Amino acid sequence: MHRAAVHTQLFLLTALSILLHSGTAASAEPLARDEFVRLRELLQPAENELWRMIPWRLSVLEGQQAAARQHKPIFIWAMDGHPLGCT
Amino acid sequence: MLQNEFIAVAIDQAYQRRQQDAEGEFYRQIARQSPRNNFENTTQGFYVATAGGELLLFNNNRDPQKLRDLLRKKLAEFKRSAAASATVGALEAGKLDARFNPRPPEGGLVVRVRAKVLDGYEPTDDAFKAIFQSALSRDNLWISKAEHEAMLRGSIPDALQRRIAQFHLVDNTRGEPPMWTPEEVRHLAMRLEGGQIRGSVRMETEDGKRGFEAEMFGEFEAEGATIRRWDLVVRGEFWGDGPFTRGAPAGRFPLAIAFSLADGSDAADAIPPQASRGWPQGYLR
Repeated sequence: MHRAAVHTQLFLLTALSILLHSGTAASAEPLARDEFVRLRELLQPAENELWRMIPWRLSVLEGQQAAARQHKPIFIWAMDGHPLGCT
Repeated sequence: MLQNEFIAVAIDQAYQRRQQDAEGEFYRQIARQSPRNNFENTTQGFYVATAGGELLLFNNNRDPQKLRDLLRKKLAEFKRSAAASATVGALEAGKLDARFNPRPPEGGLVVRVRAKVLDGYEPTDDAFKAIFQSALSRDNLWISKAEHEAMLRGSIPDALQRRIAQFHLVDNTRGEPPMWTPEEVRHLAMRLEGGQIRGSVRMETEDGKRGFEAEMFGEFEAEGATIRRWDLVVRGEFWGDGPFTRGAPAGRFPLAIAFSLADGSDAADAIPPQASRGWPQGYLR
């Protein structure tokens, strides 16, 4: 192909790409129902994850009360953001 | 060991190190004995303490084997100590600091939100990187009573659409994500149609370094005055990361976010939305 034609083609492709990405609407592919079903299943946590089997309490005070009753030590997992959620 | 030998507690310490009530006081009593005793800064880490508030262990090492060894050692020490048989009174909750005890809106809905990067990472031998690369994040979306009622009538209020876009269409799979400002939401359209939720969204920062373009599809069912099912998937291309979410795939990568009604069966259903931290009124406005 002639060099000028290649340059023209590249220019048009670049311009088209810019136009596609600079509009106000989203340009992702529409989400079909079968893909929705697949992703909904994929984004479920596994039931057998060990950390999910621990009976977590969400309050240090409730932990203190249980520890006092059961004569057990308290383990506190303290994070920036909640450890059981968005961290 | 954590199931049976300890009382396991998981917290976002940004609340407890600030809150002025019995919950905060007891936490600070424990943390004050650790190197993390400046409550102006993060106090994150692992703590083991007695019911009387004596710190037995502080550690911030995330190597599971090291932590397990430390816990075994401290548990043995605890069992040999007087604290194991001591009678300690249960602390009373007293008056709660309302700033740090937000509750889901009465008559509203709590929705589980999970995100996952679908592809784009370079292969890694690093165990910690591998965990982040395959992570499934978790947050909660709160929907007010008025918004719940509006959806029963067939519309998704603008405020709810904005809340979803700004605070929940984020990549929080590697840590605390930057949320979107109102100006960064360039396009947002959500609608209910015959039991389906459809929509599209486009966010981008001013410098173009972070963005998300996505399509939505969902299904909902109502029974009387209550929505019984609200499943939504948002899938699109994300690019960029934030100060606490470093290590995103290069360029654009596929990200999916799934929403489903919480039923209270998971302890995490009770956690306030990340974006409501210290600002529940602003989150719900």
